[in-house]
Amino acid sequence: MVRDYNNRHALDQKLRGTPKPANADHLEVGHWQAIATVLASVGLEAAVERALSSTPDLSLRYCGPGEWLVVSGVDTPLGLMRRLDMLCGTQAHVVDQSDGRVLMRLSGPSARQILAKGIGVDLHPSAFALGGSTNVLCGHIAVNLSRIGEDVFELIVSRSFAESLFEDLMTMGRPFDLSAAFSD
Amino acid sequence: MASLITCPHCGVRPKEEFAVRGDASLIRPASSASDAAWHDYVYVRVNPRGRTLEHWHHVAGCRRFLVVERDTVTHEVYSVVDGAAAAREVRR
Repeated sequence: MVRDYNNRHALDQKLRGTPKPANADHLEVGHWQAIATVLASVGLEAAVERALSSTPDLSLRYCGPGEWLVVSGVDTPLGLMRRLDMLCGTQAHVVDQSDGRVLMRLSGPSARQILAKGIGVDLHPSAFALGGSTNVLCGHIAVNLSRIGEDVFELIVSRSFAESLFEDLMTMGRPFDLSAAFSD
Repeated sequence: MASLITCPHCGVRPKEEFAVRGDASLIRPASSASDAAWHDYVYVRVNPRGRTLEHWHHVAGCRRFLVVERDTVTHEVYSVVDGAAAAREVRR
């Protein structure tokens, strides 16, 4: 039997329809964002981190010792994989997660207050600095949280949890009139 | 139960991010050890009052196993170390 597969974004159902204008607090969902996980071989963690962080348009998100999520704003998923394979060679295991993870960017003056409703980590800039990233629990869902601006946070979540996290975030942001849309 | 755990990789985190995986002070017997030794290792556990060593799995964070030393009466946490580092320490 021949079956057609539609490559659907995990939040297509939620964000269907004409985009509404963005409010002060806005949740932007990355559309076909290139994401990969990199797990360094034992003993080569520092070398891999140096190779990755020396590349300007790759953003490195800390997951655990020797493990990162790499986000690229300029590459296609395939291009990112090729670039990482060249950078890391046999020093690390690289797995494409562009279809496996969903990236959401929360921005606005109340971003911290919204996140504080679900995240048990101090988000004050003195504790969670600009450029910082870590895996945290948001409600009951494990996400990778990073601060990319004073009031701008990015959450990376497994695809199958994306709808649930999206609903949670919209509920958390309702008093602040949080709006949501795809990024392009 | 101790409600804040200082993960050596992630920093201070609420206990909801972790799964407690049992006694960390047990040492696995040799494969040639007696059935009684293996029975004790697999099934017999103490229920201590006071200081204990436990494996905590940081499920929602770095996903590393940690060895947490805590007090079951006062909920005080004395130390948290990475499981791999603790295992190397024991082997030495």
